Amino acid sequence: MIAPAFDDVLLGRLSEASGVSGGEGAVRRILIDEVRDHVDSLEIDALGSLVARIAPASRTNGSRRRGPHVLLCAHMDEVGLMVTAIEKEGRLRVRRVGGIDQRILVGQVFRIGVNGLRGVLGALPPHLVPRADREKVIAIEDMYLDIGASSRDEAERHVAVGDYACFDTTYEQWGSTRKGKAFDDRVGCTVLASLVKRRPPVPVTAVWSVQEEVGLRGAGAAARRANADLAIVLEGTASGEAPGASAGESAPVMGGGPALTVQDRTLMADARLVDLLERTGKERKIPTQWKRPGVGGTDAGRISLSGAGIPAAVVSVACRYIHAPAAYLDVRDPQRVTALVWHTLESLRKEWT
Amino acid sequence: MSSLESNVDALLPELLAAFGPSGRESGVRRALRKALRGLGTLTEDSTGNLRLHRPGRGPRLLLATPMDAAGVIVTRVDASGLGRVTMLGGRAPVELVGTTVVFEDGRKALLGYDRGPGSKNGADLEADQLFLETGLGKKGEREFPVGSVGAIEDRPERLGDYWCGANLEGRAGCAAVVAALRAARTSRYDLHVVFAAQSDVGARGATTGAFGIDPELAIVVDVAHLEGKETPGVVVGQGPCLGLKESGYVAHPQALALLKKAAAAARVKTQWLIREHEGTDARAIRAVRVGVPTGLVAIPARRSGGAFSLAHARDITQTAALVAKLLAAAPAKGGSR
Repeated sequence: MIAPAFDDVLLGRLSEASGVSGGEGAVRRILIDEVRDHVDSLEIDALGSLVARIAPASRTNGSRRRGPHVLLCAHMDEVGLMVTAIEKEGRLRVRRVGGIDQRILVGQVFRIGVNGLRGVLGALPPHLVPRADREKVIAIEDMYLDIGASSRDEAERHVAVGDYACFDTTYEQWGSTRKGKAFDDRVGCTVLASLVKRRPPVPVTAVWSVQEEVGLRGAGAAARRANADLAIVLEGTASGEAPGASAGESAPVMGGGPALTVQDRTLMADARLVDLLERTGKERKIPTQWKRPGVGGTDAGRISLSGAGIPAAVVSVACRYIHAPAAYLDVRDPQRVTALVWHTLESLRKEWT
Repeated sequence: MSSLESNVDALLPELLAAFGPSGRESGVRRALRKALRGLGTLTEDSTGNLRLHRPGRGPRLLLATPMDAAGVIVTRVDASGLGRVTMLGGRAPVELVGTTVVFEDGRKALLGYDRGPGSKNGADLEADQLFLETGLGKKGEREFPVGSVGAIEDRPERLGDYWCGANLEGRAGCAAVVAALRAARTSRYDLHVVFAAQSDVGARGATTGAFGIDPELAIVVDVAHLEGKETPGVVVGQGPCLGLKESGYVAHPQALALLKKAAAAARVKTQWLIREHEGTDARAIRAVRVGVPTGLVAIPARRSGGAFSLAHARDITQTAALVAKLLAAAPAKGGSR
């Protein structure tokens, strides 16, 4: 079968939606509308993950074999900020949710709360900073969100403590490059939706998980319930190419094809599954690359240890500038990830025991 | 020479030398399968655990011991045949300087570091300062692709009463458990043994293995490295340690009572292990499902500062004797939960 096409328009809509860890509702609503007519069941679990099930017809491809039950997972949440206090001058104090580099924060525009009110992350202007401190990174504790309010009363009419704030970034394209926020992991969410809508050739539980960026929380619970035979996690990961990185350090690179994981801080990927993914790439002439071992962590780590353990692997799109206001990806990469995972599911149906 | 002693002496060198870094335990699984022939039904699970089942009428007992070892993963190899690695497992990079790394297919490379002027001193050496000398020049990149998993090649030595080896931490417990299973051919328990994979990267095999077995009682056999402030008063050669407390774990009274009884029956002198920062698979197993009453017996060992560590042969044999007595003794009366 020909692999499904990657849905570029959906990536744009998901990228622009707000979904900081614990506040994934807007992302979830888009995905529900997108997949509801194509799946056998759809539910939101106790933690908020969206779970779809697809069972292929019993005689697809003229074969009686059902194939293994595969868990496919991508996380809906993104890194961002949370409002922790509203000061009497109308300024909002914030904390980070998930891992954001403090160096990229000051001066950024954020969208706050469900109404998406804009605010600028401000700090003491340079001419008032003591000379000795001017080269230092400003700590998040010394910044504030400025929504233009001049008193606590005025601010509280628009925002509340506990509101999330996400980067205010428009999805754009030039050539094969796409720019947007939260490609980690809205690109995985989009690939998963594309796969699900074509109804994969094996029984699939699709999980769009919550709270990955704050400790891989949603995926573990969803995996326990799914009780699948194996899992493939779809991710957006950091590429390494930049001036200052030596040639050997830059892998994986944007545009280099699906990035496969051998090991990260949370996972020893299942060797058989990784081998099948690599082999499928070679057979289908889809270029693959290796994600740098030893760094990062994904839902796959948690999933692989759920219950009595299940074999797990990760397939990623290498993105520049993840966990930052605007990331880049090469749209050919998620297209190849979609194709690679689709063809791997076809192989799993035939040969996984 | 007791049969336990001759069993441990015969088993340990082969287990130490077997390939088995965390997550790639194929070699040590093979060696254990051979050693366990005829002792029970063997299965493997998806985390890589090797499991042995010896059915019985008593309570379901999990006997767990780690089998993996520290290793490295290749992150890149440049045109001069020099590679970079990241650590697999909890070893300090400085301990691996000068060791031979062996890969699953038998290929070898050496680990060194750039000791040029201004380099950091050894203790805080980071993994990315190590280099892997493949000796292959520009062919190195093809022969050692990114993600290749290597283990520390062990050349075990018996020096007087001591066993020395790079992989002692993961394998001394395996030797003791196999010897105990050979000595106690029958068991009063429904016995499940897990030779746990991926222990050195966070008790991962123990977590999934214990979940699958759902034991009523668990005993962990492991190695405890002694460090002055962490384990005052504990001495290598003075007998197996019974774990009272370590990071994330306190002994369950029922399990501890069984261990004490077994030690007395085996006429084995024990020491107490009480430590703050280090831990074993016991902390993972005790928290599986609704919780498992868990006991810990640990073989004391010393680190060398380099790749190898050192344990007293008698401590290993006596650990085996203690476990054999525990398996043969009548289980505690009454439900464990």
